[in-house]
Amino acid sequence: MTAPVLEVEDLRVDLRTPRGTAHVVNGLSYTVGAGETVAVVGESGSGKSVSVLALLGLLPARTATVTGRALLGGEDLLTMSPERLRQVRGPGVGMVFQDPMTSLNPVLTVGRQLTEGLRAHGSLSRAAARARAVELLGEVGLPDPGRAVDRYPHELSGGMRQRVVIAIALANSPSLLIADEATTALDVTVQAQILDLVERLQTEHGTGVVWITHDLGVVAGTADRVLVMYGGRCVEDGTVDDVLERPEHPYTRGLLGALPDLATDDDADLATIPGTPPPPTDLPAGCVFWPRCPVRGDARCETEQPPLAVVGSARADLPHRAATWCAEGEAS
Amino acid sequence: MSVLVFSLIHLVRGDPIRLALGTRFSQETYDALRERSGLDLPLVQQYLTWAGRALTGDLGVSFRSGETVTSLIAERLPATLTLALASLVVALVIALPLGMLSALHPRSLVDRLATVVSQFGISVPDFWLSIMLILVFAGTLGWLPSGGYVALTEDPLGWLERLVLPAVATGVVSGSVITRFVRSSMLEALGSDHVRTAQAKGVPTRQVLTWHVLRNALLPLVTVTGVQLAYLLSGVVVVEIVFSWPGLGQLAYQAVRDRDFPVLQGAVLLFALVFLVINLLVDLLYSRIDPRIARR
Repeated sequence: MTAPVLEVEDLRVDLRTPRGTAHVVNGLSYTVGAGETVAVVGESGSGKSVSVLALLGLLPARTATVTGRALLGGEDLLTMSPERLRQVRGPGVGMVFQDPMTSLNPVLTVGRQLTEGLRAHGSLSRAAARARAVELLGEVGLPDPGRAVDRYPHELSGGMRQRVVIAIALANSPSLLIADEATTALDVTVQAQILDLVERLQTEHGTGVVWITHDLGVVAGTADRVLVMYGGRCVEDGTVDDVLERPEHPYTRGLLGALPDLATDDDADLATIPGTPPPPTDLPAGCVFWPRCPVRGDARCETEQPPLAVVGSARADLPHRAATWCAEGEAS
Repeated sequence: MSVLVFSLIHLVRGDPIRLALGTRFSQETYDALRERSGLDLPLVQQYLTWAGRALTGDLGVSFRSGETVTSLIAERLPATLTLALASLVVALVIALPLGMLSALHPRSLVDRLATVVSQFGISVPDFWLSIMLILVFAGTLGWLPSGGYVALTEDPLGWLERLVLPAVATGVVSGSVITRFVRSSMLEALGSDHVRTAQAKGVPTRQVLTWHVLRNALLPLVTVTGVQLAYLLSGVVVVEIVFSWPGLGQLAYQAVRDRDFPVLQGAVLLFALVFLVINLLVDLLYSRIDPRIARR
């Protein structure tokens, strides 16, 4: 693996809420290599989105406290000056948001929203920026980019808008692309096109990608490595094969078990994990998954937090780790 | 609308002819005048005659002065326009910075202060504020005249001196309403997803604020400003009287006092027209501001 593009160490995010302090992200660590795709999975409220918004300083400063380290090319994103952070947003990190219906400004043309990002990071003339915008729209597969550049977002379909959002994120050839549920709001065929698009651009530019999703199908299709989040913690990570084929954490197993299978039992009820995630204002003392865990195989589960430990892997440089007291593959 | 106004006016007790003639007059003069002004005809017929003429721009003749209503209105219009526009300027000068500051720092000291100030502005009656302004600035301090009007062409400084107090009195009220709107529409725009997208692009903060927050907060702002302008053009009756400002409000007030039906009808019709025209202008402005409306 080449030098990592992004190194996140012990990221913690607390949000002040009327109901007390919410510990939304609790000590998250991961790395993303150049050209590598890391998928972050977990259900709603597991802290996935907050953990990436925190990296770019996009959380409300009044209520959010972010600690830890997040090195992008050796520079810590979390301690950067606001002006330096602004310079990094765009050329350093591009971000694609979940809902293409709301993430574009309805009163500005597509071209204007693209050139704005281009011109914020270079001395491009108006005409040159426009030409580059048309080029970018062509790259992301928008038909007739020469005309699309003067369109308003409401004149485009959801899939087309998401392509525009991706074009904006890629405008300054970032070394890292963060896609926050980028295909969740799209239908399956469009989703596949977008996934292909990102993969192609990734191979061309060597961009590292953090793909946030709760869709395990997307994970299997695109990611190199997976990080499973629950209650603001990483409960399991490893290569896609390790995590999806040999899950060790009861939560990961539950997630995979909840996947509907087309081949068998078409009358059976959909498998679910009973209960809901713990509220981030009141996390359990032991394993975060303990209240919903079907296994509870160890006396320490309720009282002691399990560390993220290596549970075995095909490759030494890409360990398969899980934070559970009940791992079967755990070497004791 | 015009039917309603017409009926309401004629329901008011009091005989305009009697008021116009004073205390000593003969029955013949009274009857003649009554016949000439058409007040002896049935109300429906009076209305139809009036409405028919109004359509051609003839609003009739004042019972009181004998001048045509259109000329009376034309004479008063510049004064009211001046005051309304000046008030709007005062209102926006108060509302834009105050509303923006509170939206950018919600629950801060500035925001709390702005809330108190605008709440005060909304709840205080304009005549009371007018009187207080006169007492302080014209009375105690003696800095400004207490009322009256001179044309800009005659005495620019005097014109400005006399404009300040009434403009502030009405501007504070409108400004307070607009402040609340600026704050809420800015807050809404600030919280929208596309602002986050703009920030993630690395666009400088000031540019994010102008192009993604203010630009999008403009639509509700134009609406409320239009309503306020219409209110200022037609609703500053009390303030015009307090400051003896020779505008339409004062004209309408005098017409009510003298039961000068043609003048009152003309003035009310004009106020209604002002509302219609301003609403139309606001709608046209929408399509300039919001492309989603323009292309439909």
